[in-house]
Amino acid sequence: MTTEVKTKVIGKSVWRNEDPRLLTGMAQFVDDIELPGMLHAAFYRSDYAHARIKSIDVSAARARPGVVAVYTAEDFGDYWHVGPLQVPPPLAIKGAQFNARPLVPIAKDKVRYSGEPLAVVLAESRYIAEDALADIYADLEPLPAVTDMEKALEPGAPLVHDDLGTNLAADVYQQVGDYEAAKAKADVVIARRFFKDRCAGGAMENRGIVCAWDEKAQKMTVWCGTQAPIPMRNAIAKNLGLSEDQVRLVIPFIGGGFGPKVMTSMPDDVLLPWLSRKLNRPIKWIEDRRENFLATTSERDQIHYAEIALTKDGKILGVKDVFYHNTGAYDPYGMTVPLNTQTHTLGQYDVPNFYTQIKMVFTNKMVVTPVRGAGRNYGVFVMERLMDLAAKELKMDPVEIRMKNLIQPHQLPYKTGIIGQDFVENVLDSGDYPASLKKAVEMIGYEKFVKEEQPRLRAEGKWVGIGVVNFVEGTAVGPYEGARVTVGNNGKVVVLTGCSTQGQAHFTTFAQLVAEQLGVDVKDVHVTTGDTDQFHWGAGTFASRGITVAGSAVYAAATKVRAKALSLASKLLETPEEELELADGVVRVADLPSKFIPLGELAMKANPTRGTIEPGVEPGLEATAYYAPPHGATGYGTNAIILEVDKETFDVKIRRFVFVHDCGTVVNPMVAEAQIHGGVQMGIGTAFFEQLVYDDNGQLLNASFQDYLMPKATDMPMKMELGHLSVPSPLNPLGLKGLGEAGAIPPPAAYAQAIENAIHDVDFEILDMPLNPSRLYELVKAARKK
Amino acid sequence: MSKKVDIKVTVNGKLYERSVEPRMLLSDFIRHELGLTGTHTGCEHGVCGTCTVWFDGEPVRSCLMFAVQADGHEVHTVESLGTPDNLHPLQQAFMEKHALQCGFCTPGMLMTFAHFIQRHPNPTDEEIREAMAGNLCRCTGYENIVEAVKLAAQRMAGK
Amino acid sequence: MKLEGEHVFKGPREAVWQMFRDPEVLGSALPGTQSLNKISDTEYEATMNVRIGPVSGSFSGKLFVSDENPPESCTLTVDGRGAPGFAKGVGKVKFTENGDGTTLMQYEGELQVGGTLASVGQRMLDSVSKSMIRQGFESLDKALEARLAAGEGKVVDYKPPTEAEFAKAVAKDMAGGLTQVAELRMLMYIVPVALVVLIVALIVRGCGG
Repeated sequence: MTTEVKTKVIGKSVWRNEDPRLLTGMAQFVDDIELPGMLHAAFYRSDYAHARIKSIDVSAARARPGVVAVYTAEDFGDYWHVGPLQVPPPLAIKGAQFNARPLVPIAKDKVRYSGEPLAVVLAESRYIAEDALADIYADLEPLPAVTDMEKALEPGAPLVHDDLGTNLAADVYQQVGDYEAAKAKADVVIARRFFKDRCAGGAMENRGIVCAWDEKAQKMTVWCGTQAPIPMRNAIAKNLGLSEDQVRLVIPFIGGGFGPKVMTSMPDDVLLPWLSRKLNRPIKWIEDRRENFLATTSERDQIHYAEIALTKDGKILGVKDVFYHNTGAYDPYGMTVPLNTQTHTLGQYDVPNFYTQIKMVFTNKMVVTPVRGAGRNYGVFVMERLMDLAAKELKMDPVEIRMKNLIQPHQLPYKTGIIGQDFVENVLDSGDYPASLKKAVEMIGYEKFVKEEQPRLRAEGKWVGIGVVNFVEGTAVGPYEGARVTVGNNGKVVVLTGCSTQGQAHFTTFAQLVAEQLGVDVKDVHVTTGDTDQFHWGAGTFASRGITVAGSAVYAAATKVRAKALSLASKLLETPEEELELADGVVRVADLPSKFIPLGELAMKANPTRGTIEPGVEPGLEATAYYAPPHGATGYGTNAIILEVDKETFDVKIRRFVFVHDCGTVVNPMVAEAQIHGGVQMGIGTAFFEQLVYDDNGQLLNASFQDYLMPKATDMPMKMELGHLSVPSPLNPLGLKGLGEAGAIPPPAAYAQAIENAIHDVDFEILDMPLNPSRLYELVKAARKK
Repeated sequence: MSKKVDIKVTVNGKLYERSVEPRMLLSDFIRHELGLTGTHTGCEHGVCGTCTVWFDGEPVRSCLMFAVQADGHEVHTVESLGTPDNLHPLQQAFMEKHALQCGFCTPGMLMTFAHFIQRHPNPTDEEIREAMAGNLCRCTGYENIVEAVKLAAQRMAGK
Repeated sequence: MKLEGEHVFKGPREAVWQMFRDPEVLGSALPGTQSLNKISDTEYEATMNVRIGPVSGSFSGKLFVSDENPPESCTLTVDGRGAPGFAKGVGKVKFTENGDGTTLMQYEGELQVGGTLASVGQRMLDSVSKSMIRQGFESLDKALEARLAAGEGKVVDYKPPTEAEFAKAVAKDMAGGLTQVAELRMLMYIVPVALVVLIVALIVRGCGG
C-alpha cells in the first residue's frame, strides 16, 4: 500500500553525483579502456541484403602484417551456434504462433541483411584491422530480397529463412468483447491503413566491447556498454561453458542506450570473448557509425489496418487493428515490440470491444528490437488518428471526443484484458486521465487559440494548427531487480545493483533513495550499476523500469539497513529505537543530538573481529532486497502543440509545446523533466525527421548522420512546457511509475493532428509517419489535385 | 602502412613528441596515443560534434583532421577546462542546469560553448541554438544546455 | 534506381554501333577504366578505379551483351563489385536513324547498388552518375568524330580524358548543382551511350556511394 512519505531528499532536484567526472573527461567509457597486448577487431560485412555464401577468401587478409587472425563462420567450428532467443515466445497468449529465428553470430551459408558479418579480423591496431577488411573476398550469390512486409507474405516471395517455408514470424491475436457485434450496432465506422517507418536508436556512443581472458585465473572479464549486464554475463558464461562466476561483466559509463544496447548474443558478445580465450589476448571492438546504422537493431516499421466503430454522439463501441510488424531478418527479442503496440493502442480510452492481431514478418532488413517508445507510439498513433478521423466525420471537436471516451479515475485499476510484453495482463494501475487532458488544454489555452488566435492568424494567411493527444506508457515491468546497500567503515554508503545506467541519473536518484533512509549526504552514497562480481541478480534497464523496479529494491534494502542501524544503535546508545533518528551521517537521540554514534562506527561494530554477533542478525550494516512487480505501472499524459507550417517550404515550426505527464512520486524533478525533454526529442524525430530509408533490395540508403536527420537544437521547440500530475502507483511503497519513454510516444500523433488542423484549406489525411517537408508537400499537392 | 612521421603537438599546454602514421586521425591521436579520453568520437564523419577540440584556439572536429596536421600547433581538449574539484563556470552551469545525461556528447558541447561564450558574452536563445546546431545530443532535447550556456555566460560576464 | 535517357550521335547508325562494340572506345569513355577486355563477342571484363566523394576503391566487373539485334538494339548487363560495394545494372539500348545522318540512342535501365556506395554515397549517386553519363557521351562523341574522320582519311585529335580530368569534371558538375539549365543541357548530351554509360554509371555509382 502507498503510504504518505515525508521526504527530505526524495522529491528534490539534487545535482548529479556523476556529473563532475562526466564534465571533465574523467568518466570512463568502453572505448577508453586500453589493455596491454590488446587486439582490435573489425567485422567484414555483407554488402548484399540477401545472398548465398559460396566461399570467403581471407588468405590475403591473414597474410597482412599486423593481422593476428581472421575468422569466418567455418573457422568457429562447433562453437558457431544460433541464438539463444533473448526474450521467450509469448506462450502466455492462447493460440499464439511464434517462429523463433534468433540471431546467428556470423553468417553461415546465407546472408539475411545488409551488414551481416561474414568474417572478423583481429589485428594489432584498428587501422590494420580495417585495412585487412579490404583484402577479404566473399563470393556471394545474390538472391532476390524482400523488404516489404505485405509482399513478404505473398505466395512466391523470397524466403528469409528457407526452412520455415514462410516469412511469417508470428501471428497473435487478442480480443476483448466482440468487435464485429459492436460494429454492427455502430452509426459510424472508420477504417484506414497506417504506416510508421523505422528510426534508429542513435545513441551518441556506438556499441563496443572489451574482453580479456585471464588464463591463470581462468576468468573472463568483459567491459561493455550493455543495458542488461546480468543477462549478458549469463549468456557469455553459457556460450563459453564457464560457470557464471568465471565471467565478470563491468559496465563503464554508457553513452546512451535507447533500447538497442539491451541486446545480447550479438556478433561481438558471442564471438569476441571466445576469441579472447582462444588467443589468450584482450580484444577490443568499437562499432563505427555506419555499422551502427546497418547492424545495430532499430525499430518502428509497422503497417496497421485499423478501424473504429462509434455511436453518432461519439462514444466508441469498438476498435479493430490488424497489423504487420517488420521484425527484420531475425526475431531474437521475441514479440516485445508488437505486444507493446497491442497494450497501448486503446491508451486512456474506455473501449468495450477490441480486436488486435499481430502479423510479424521476416524481411531482409536489420532486426527490430525496442527503441525508446518501443511499440507504444504506433498504438497511440493509430488510435489518436482514428479519433481525429472520427471527430471530423462526426463534426466534433477533437478534445471533446477524447474527453467523452476517457477511462474515469474510479475505474482504475483498469484491467485491459490484453497480455503485454511481460506476459501478464495489462493493468492501468493509477491516475486521473481527465485531469491530464484538462490540464493540457488549459496550459495551451485551447479555447482562446481556437476561437481567437487561429482565426486571426488564418486571416493573415498563416497555416497554424493545434493538436491535442493522449497516451499511456506501460513502464516498470518485471521480472524483478535487486540491490545491496552497505554502510562502510568510513560512513559512506555503497549501493550495488545490476540495473545499468545510460544517463538516467541512477548514480544520483538511487543515492537519494538511500540518503532518505539513512540520513546521509547524497554525495556520500556511491552507486555501482553494473559489476557482476559485486552483484549478480537483475534483468536490466529497459521499459522505463530503472527507478521503479531497481529503485524500489534499493529503497527496500536501505530500509532494512536503517532498521539494522537503529537496532544496533539502540543497544549501544541505550535508547529505545523510537527515540533515535538518522541524520547527518550519524544515529542520534532525537532530543539529545550530542548523544550519537556515527554510521561508520556503527558499521564497524556490526562487523566485529572478535566476540560474536547475535543469532539471527546478519553481520555488517548491509542488506539486500528485491522488488518484483505483479505487473507494470502505467504512466500517462497529454501532449498539446501549436505549430505553423511554412506555405513555401512545408517546414514545420513549433510555436507551443505542452506535455502533461504523471509518473507518480518523483524522486528528482530535475531529472524527471529532462527525461521528458529527451523523449520528446526522439518523438519529434520520429514525427518529422528520422527515417531509415531502405531500398527494395534491402540496402540502407542513409547510414550516416549526414543523411539520417536527428533533430538538432534548432529543430526543437524553444521551450517544452511541462505539466505534472502525481498520482502514486499502488504497486510499490514509494508510488513510483516510470517515464523514460513517455516523451517519445505522442509527438507523431500530435504532429499529425496539428498539421491537418493547420492546413485547413486542403482536405487531406496524414496516415503515415515520419513526415518531412517534402512528404508533406507531396501529400498536400496530391490532395489539391483531387 | 605508410611511413611514420615525427610530430610535436602541444596539447593542453604540454608538448608531446610522437611518431605517427600520416593517416592517423587527430581524434585517435588525442584519445589513444595521448590517453586523453575525454574527447569522444560519435560519428567519425564530422557531423555530431562530439570530438570538438580547440585547434590554435578555434573549435574544430578532431575526427576530420589528421594528427600530422597538428604538428607545431596547439590543441586544447575538455581536460583543459576544469577538474572535478574545480569546475569551469560552464561545467558548473551544465551540472546545475542538468545539461547532460549520458555525458557522451558533453565534451564536444563544452568545447563549442567555452569558445562561443568568449565571443558572445550575452547570447540569446536563438544564438545558442544556432551555435549548437553542429553538435548532436540524443539525451537532453537541448533545452537545458541552452539554459546552462546562458547561466555560464551571465556568471562569466559578471566577473 | 532507374536510368533512362537519349543521346544523338553525329554519325550513321552502323558507325555508332561499331564504336559501341569496340572495347577500346568503350573503355576510354569510362574514366577510371584500367582495362576493358573482350572475353567473347558478348562478354567484357573491366576493372575501374572509382573515387567519388568519401567512397573510393577498385571495381571489377563484367559486361554482357545480349538480345543483340545489330545495329538496332541490345541489352547490356553490368555486374561490378569492389571494396566500396557493388553495382548491378541491366539496360536496353536502341539506336534509330534520324534520317539526317545522325543516330538517336535511347536507353533505359535499372541500377542496383549496395554496400558503402548505397549507404553512404546515396546522396551523391544521382548527380555523379548524371555527370558520368554526360562525360561519357562527350567522350564518345569525340571518339565517333575521330573514327569517322579516320575513315575519310582526316586526322582529328582525340584523347580520352584522364582520371584527374574526369574527377574534376564530376566535381564541377556537382558544385554547379543540378540546376534546371544544367539538366537541360545535359539531356542533350545524355542521349546516348546507354550501354557504356550505363555500365560506367553503374560502376561509378557503386563507387560513388
